[in-house]
Amino acid sequence: MSLSALVEEADLHALVDGELDSERRRKVEDHLLQHPQDAALVEGWRRQNAALRAAFEHVAHETPPLSLRGAALRGGGPALGQAPIETGAIHWGRPTGPARSVRRLDELRKSRRKQTVVSLLLALVAGAAVAGAAVLALTRSPPPPPSPPAAANLSRGFIGRADVAFQTYASDARPIEFDADHKSELLAWLRGRVGFGVAPDLSGLGLRFLGGWIAPGVARPAGFLLYEREGVGRVGLYFERAEPGAAPAGPPRAAANLTAIEWRGAGMAFVLIGPLGADAMQAAAERAAAQVLAPAADAEKRR
Amino acid sequence: MGRKDDFFQTLEALTPTLRRYARALFAGAGLAAADDLVQTALQLVASQIRAKQFRPRDANAARLRAYEVLTDLAGRKLREGAATRPSPRYPAIVHGLAELPHDERATLLLVALEGLAYDDAARILGVTREVTLARLMRARAVLAGLDLRPTALLEGTRRATGHLRVVK
Repeated sequence: MSLSALVEEADLHALVDGELDSERRRKVEDHLLQHPQDAALVEGWRRQNAALRAAFEHVAHETPPLSLRGAALRGGGPALGQAPIETGAIHWGRPTGPARSVRRLDELRKSRRKQTVVSLLLALVAGAAVAGAAVLALTRSPPPPPSPPAAANLSRGFIGRADVAFQTYASDARPIEFDADHKSELLAWLRGRVGFGVAPDLSGLGLRFLGGWIAPGVARPAGFLLYEREGVGRVGLYFERAEPGAAPAGPPRAAANLTAIEWRGAGMAFVLIGPLGADAMQAAAERAAAQVLAPAADAEKRR
Repeated sequence: MGRKDDFFQTLEALTPTLRRYARALFAGAGLAAADDLVQTALQLVASQIRAKQFRPRDANAARLRAYEVLTDLAGRKLREGAATRPSPRYPAIVHGLAELPHDERATLLLVALEGLAYDDAARILGVTREVTLARLMRARAVLAGLDLRPTALLEGTRRATGHLRVVK
């Protein structure tokens, strides 16, 4: 029975305080497994440590008051001519003591006041900046193009908004405000409000153009065109102003029994949404995408 | 000179930790007094280094010295009767801390809050490692009474010297 086989209370403390080497530590931990009472002690001390840290840790993360910043660098002369501290040479009651500590307290208060004023001024300046930015953002017209993070949010929402537009308009049996007979009128309206006025001809795929509306968008109003395949159902083409860029990767998302396909082109985001099969939707989307981009390319050539 | 400046930088970087320690030494009472002591301790150590009364071997020596001076100053201040009544918003552990004698409180805080090794804590307090350990045990035993744990488990710890137990 060697001495190292013995575990005393000091070892338990040393375990909590990380004072044991790995071999000894393993031994003490083994001991704890067999002695739940001691394990409870250790657990209690660890809890104490955690409680202490929780109570005071925040102080170490605070910015020290101004009076404390640079205290070591400034030095100050109280120790000059004094014996080292162990001999007890710091006399709180020495004649110059009280005056000094009173002065220091005054400085402390003054610096705290200064701190308050500075932070108040900073808060005012920050507030003014925010207000200025808000006024600028609200009065500027047309609204600024969405910043990259906003665009990222928007792009996530195109299919969602197309879905809403589809649910709102496609199932309605009432006459469409701008039907196929007023196509040119509708397209002029869309060009003015939405910034894009082309209705792809999908009749080759059995999709008859029914008409269109303006739908709510985020940055600007969006356009929504409706097509119908006789006896099967209606397909919507939603388009909204968007930052150029790749459409979100991934398979076309099916909303309930709907298929939605998203792509980008001509500064717009397009979503074709409808109840047709995935293949038919894909074919329609490709046809629409080709026609949507063609006029833009023609315009480029003409220029 | 460069080395000396390094020590001042070390002390400067130590300020937030020293504030935490001082705040805990006063058991959360006397916030301004605790900051005041940190300032005095830092200036004292810095001027001792400047006057070559204290020549730290390395940054850690300067650090331990700052703890030592602060502990000493706080001890004097508390003996003079500075208030250590923590306000009721503090948790139970802080109220327990206020009940401890200064030496035990300092020992516990150096080890448990500041994470110093036993030897460093002993050096700061100017006692042997054994005394440090004994104070630590006493402090923990007293505070254990506050814990939510059943106190029956803590009977054995009331003896500061500890007891031997055969494992194998």
